[in-house]
This record gives sequence, C-alpha cells and structure tokens, in this order.
Amino acid sequence: MGTPASTAGLRIKEKSRRKKSSANSFALIFILPSLVLYTLFVIVPTLGSVYLSFTSWDGISEDIRFIGLANFAEIWQSPRVHNALKNTLILTVSLVLLENVAAIAMALMVDRVRWFKNLFRSLFYFPTLLSGVVMGFVWTMILNYNFGVFNQILNAVGLGSWALDWLGNPDYAMVSIILSTVWKGAGYYMIIYLAGLQGIPTELSEAASIDGANSRQQFRFITFPLLAGSLTVCMVLSTISALKIFDQIAVMTDGGPGFATETLTYIIYKVGFGELRQGFGTALALVLFVLILIVTVIQVQVLRKREVQH
Amino acid sequence: MIGRTAKGWFAVTLAASLVLSACGSGSGDVQTTSGAAADGGGDKVSFTIGYASGDPAARKAISDTVERFMDANPNIEIKDISDNSASSYLDWLKTKDAVGEFPDLVEMRDTEVFADAGKIVELPSDLVELFDSPPEVDGKVWNAPLALNVPQGIIYSKKAYADAGITDLPQTYDEFLEIQEKLKASGISPLVVGGKDIFHMGFWVNKFLIDDVYAKDPDWNSKKTAQEAAFVDENVVQAMTDFKFLFQNYVDKGWLSTPDNQTASVLVSGKAAQLFSGTWMFSQIEEADPSFEYGFYAVPDREGHVNVIGLPSPAGWTLSAEAAKDPDKTEAIESFIRYFFEPEQYSLYLASLNGIPSTKEKVEYEASPAMQSALDLMNDPEVTKSLAINNWWGENLIPPQFRNWFYKKLQEMVVSDGDVSDYMKQIDTEYDNQVKTNAM
Repeated sequence: MGTPASTAGLRIKEKSRRKKSSANSFALIFILPSLVLYTLFVIVPTLGSVYLSFTSWDGISEDIRFIGLANFAEIWQSPRVHNALKNTLILTVSLVLLENVAAIAMALMVDRVRWFKNLFRSLFYFPTLLSGVVMGFVWTMILNYNFGVFNQILNAVGLGSWALDWLGNPDYAMVSIILSTVWKGAGYYMIIYLAGLQGIPTELSEAASIDGANSRQQFRFITFPLLAGSLTVCMVLSTISALKIFDQIAVMTDGGPGFATETLTYIIYKVGFGELRQGFGTALALVLFVLILIVTVIQVQVLRKREVQH
Repeated sequence: MIGRTAKGWFAVTLAASLVLSACGSGSGDVQTTSGAAADGGGDKVSFTIGYASGDPAARKAISDTVERFMDANPNIEIKDISDNSASSYLDWLKTKDAVGEFPDLVEMRDTEVFADAGKIVELPSDLVELFDSPPEVDGKVWNAPLALNVPQGIIYSKKAYADAGITDLPQTYDEFLEIQEKLKASGISPLVVGGKDIFHMGFWVNKFLIDDVYAKDPDWNSKKTAQEAAFVDENVVQAMTDFKFLFQNYVDKGWLSTPDNQTASVLVSGKAAQLFSGTWMFSQIEEADPSFEYGFYAVPDREGHVNVIGLPSPAGWTLSAEAAKDPDKTEAIESFIRYFFEPEQYSLYLASLNGIPSTKEKVEYEASPAMQSALDLMNDPEVTKSLAINNWWGENLIPPQFRNWFYKKLQEMVVSDGDVSDYMKQIDTEYDNQVKTNAM
C-alpha cells in the first residue's frame, strides 16, 4: 500500500496513460485508410514478389519455374549489375550532396533577401512541379547535339568546339542527368530547409553578432547545427529518391550510351519488361529494397545523433 | 468510447471499400458491350488495337484506316492504345500485358515468344488465304503480315553527293568507303544514325552480319545456340570490325543521342549526307522537306554482292488469346483485318510507308524513283535476301533478351574503342548464359 503522495502519482500516470491511449486510437482511425491501401497495393505485392524472385518467370507465360537462388547468384556475378550498382552509387552520392548544398544555399538566399522574396521562392520551387518525364524531355531537347539550344548558344558565342553530345558521350551523360535532376529536385528540399531556418530563434544570431561572429561563423556554429533536423529529413528523402531514379534516365539516355547510365531501377525495368526476365528483375528489385533499407537506417542513425534541440 | 471507435472503424471501412470499388470500376472498360448503340443498331462490339507507332507515317496510315473502318461499321468500336513512345516495342507490349491491357488485335513481332506463352492465337484459316505463303511458326500461321520485309540501304542527299564530286554509286564496299572519305572531305557529316533508339542500331549491325554471316549461312543462329559457331569466329569479328570502323570514322558525332525520328530532319537540313534505313523513311523525308532530292541504293559487300533484308518473317496483325474467347470480338477483328487488306485500303497504307504488299491480291500504288530502286532489289534474283539477327525463328530464334543487350554492347565497344575480339568473347559468354537461363 503506497503513501498518499505515491497514490496520487499513480493516478496521474494512469490518467496520462489513458489519455495517450485514446489519442493513439484516434490517430489510428486517420492512419487506417492509408494503411489499408498501402498494405493492399504495396506490402502484399511486395511479399508476393519474393516468391517470383526465386523463379525464371518471363512475365508473360503461365509457366513459372522455381530455380532456387539462381537469380541471386547471377546478380552476384553479373558485370552488368555491378555496373548498374556503381552508376547508382555515383548518382546517389552526387545527387544527395549537390541537391542539399544547392537547397541550403537557395533557402539561405530566400530567407535573407529583402526584395523579391516570393519571386525567388517561386522560381526555385517551380522545377519541382514538373514530372520527371517532362523534365527529361525538356533537357533532352536543350542538350540535343544537332538541334539543342545549349550547343546552338555555344556555337553562337564562338565556342563551337565546346559543343558536345552531352547525352551521347559516356563521360558527360551521367553529369547531364545529375545536373538536370539537381535543377528539378533542389527546390523541394529548399522549402524544408527554409522552414528549418525560420524556426531558428533570431536572438541566437543577434547574440553571436554582438559577440563579434561574422556571417560565416554564424552559419557554421549556429545556423547549420540547428538545421540538423531538416538535414536529416532532406538527406534521407534525397537518398531514397536518388536510389530510385528512373524517369530521367528512361527519357534522357535509355540507360546509355551503351550501359553508361544504367542504374539499378532502370535495369530492373529493362530486364523485367524488355528482356522478358520478370523473375530476375524481381530478384534485383528485392536487392534494391534491401539496399535502400540499409542505407536509410544507417543514415537516420548517424544524422539523428547530431541533431540539436533548442 | 467503444461506440465512437466502432463508428470510426465503420467509416474507415466504408471509405476504403468506396475507394477500392472506384478503382475497380475504372478498369476493364474495353469490353464487348450489349445494348443500344449510338446509331440505334444492335450490339456494339469494341476491341483494342496496338501496334508500333514510332513511325509517324505508319501510325497515321493505320489510324486513318481504323477511322474509315469505324465509319463504315458503326457497330464496331476500335480503341487505339498505341501510345508507345518506348524505344523498344517489346518493352511497351510487355508493360501492357503486365497491367492487363494486352491489345485484342496486336502487331506482333516476337511471335514465337508470345505464342509459346499462350498470349496469341493462330490466324483464322479464312484469313490465311489472303496472303501469299505467310511464314509458319511450329507449323501454324499466327500473323497477317502488314507488309513484306523491305530492303534497307543508303538514302543519300543528291546535292551532298554532287558537292563532294560523287558521280557513280559504289559497286563494292571499298568504293562505298571511298565515298565516305569524299563526303567527309567536302565538310559534311557522312552518315546520320539514330542510335538513341536501340532498334535503329540494328540497321547497320545487321547489314554487316548479313554480308559476313547470314548471306552464307542462314542457320548461323541455331549453330550459335548449339555452340557450333561463335561471335569470336573470324567472319563475325570481321563484320563487327567493319561496323566499328564505319562508326568511328564516318558517323555524325551526335549519333548516340539522336532518336530515329530525328534522322530525317538531320538529313534534309544538310547536317549529314546519308542515312541507312528502310523504305518507310521516304515519306518522312518528303514530309520534312518536299523539295529534298534523294536517292536510294543497297550497300554492296567487299566482293560486290548485294545482300539485303527481304525474307518474310512471322510478324503482323495477330489476335490475342483473350480476345479469341469472345466470338463477337473475334468476328469484329476478322472483319477489320479483311477491311485493312482490301486493295483500296491497303494501297493507302502501303503508299504511306512505301511498303511491299503481302497479299495474294495485286495491290498497286505509285512508287517514287527511290522506291522503285528498292523494288528492283527485291525482284533481282542476284540479290541475296536475308533477315536481321532477331527476326529468325524456330531453331534460329535467339534469346529474346539478347538483341537489345547486344546492340548496347556494340555501342559501348565503339565509344570506348574496345577490342573487337574481346567484346565478341564477352558477347559469346552472355549469349550462352542467356540460352542456359532460358532453358531453366
């Protein structure tokens, strides 16, 4: 039997527990529709595909033959898959770094600029409204070797020797995809960073300023650490998005020239649909799923540690 | 609280079921529908049609025929779902199949693969009679050939040839290379290639393969599958060495990012002097610039022989197995096929893409001088007729996944200046692996 104080404490705890449980039930009602649809259209097919990854199914016939781990063994040994993995990693690292650096720079500019704040915000955000396919077509036209605006400008200003086959040259095709994707994606992350910046108390910067800190020091020791929450979200989202990139590659290079821009998601589509190897494509999709899972978990763990509460 | 929660669950379940039923009602709208048709006639039959629509002229010709057919048959509705912008027609067809929208009437190119999968049915025997010895797969005729395979060759700008001082057409492959040198020296890019579209790569690859391999041995594919022949063999290495040399020296710099449908523009704009393609390009070129003067010839081999694509292959309009289960739909599709091949309709289709008729009944249209050159090639018994690597069938069928990989590998070989023999070794390994995989 407890003391009156401890009994009161237990009552408060019980009340708080009930309140929390009621709030959870209420939240569940709102989550449930999405959860049902997600389970039906994502989780169930994903689990179903696990079986397919152990088959040699061509995707059209009714003959689905179990071949054990042969697909996974082929993934392990295939130079084409290794090349796609290498391309995916190059693309992911480049995109995550460039998109986030560009997004932070744009957010800082929009946050600090005195004039045309809304205009800049709209200009930077506009590309994110385009679909990957539309963006791909636009850049394909701009970078076209024969009729593209970019090469025509270079020719017009006397730099004709710099005019290249930007999407047909293996050295530049990946760079072209990376830069055009940064152009499209950075605006989205800018909004998240902007929200983060606007949540940082101005007193901190003012105090630092009085103490003699210049703008670079203020960014390094105040702004950037306090953006850690936004950074975690943006890094995770941009990593997942980069690992899954598909539209731009399908439209701009078709994975080429040769296999120079073929990524894991693209090879999954090509082998699954174009090459009639659904079983192998599904096995690759599972490998990509595991890869994304591992990368995301590690990333969240690392980034969460450096988040600062204020 | 419990009551409230239960109400919440009910509302959620109701909402989910509404959403799901809404999703369900959206699909399967292409059905045989009974009831009053717009014209007030009896049952209205509807079927879907799918074909390779990358060539704008062919697309227009088919969609015009569809429109005329529906005007003449108000009880039949044809839904054209050929929105394929994919670089590979097979990708598109397979995707359509995966989402349950495999066309009821489909232009089939990979007949054996889809026949083995049970996705298509034989052509009804009364339709088979329309055609002159259509090819058989497993002893059955599956397709109503849209046209016979046409020869591919050089479509050249007469002005560019005149400017470069070229007066005679080549009689051997070495003379052809001399022409390329003259064109290059005159300051024009000799050849435009639409290498962004992987099927376009096949035009040149198969020209060399036919000259060095298939013209002498039409059963080479089956020998390769049985490992009695190889890509590292001297004749194949020679073919691919010629291919690499040509691409590294005489092809327009932007070839890897140029799509097939841009090649006509590059040619008529004077950026390049020649295009290696088929007779279907004539109408595209004339549409791009009606005043553009061009000629056509087949590129001879080193000994001066002319070998071209020209054998029949199992491809064309094919009924899907699903559509064949519905007698009304089958009847509607059959009547469309008959209509399509009626001489007055078929001649319009053939004229729009300079095709060669596949029907027994004579079909005539006015042929341009360039088209006449192509017809002369087809009628010349001295010219060897062959097929592209992926158009053979039966024992000579290659693994369906091989063609695109092979062409991409050759692109890589050219841009990385790879050793031809090394690449042929890699290609042999991949081919054998694919044969092994498909046998599993």
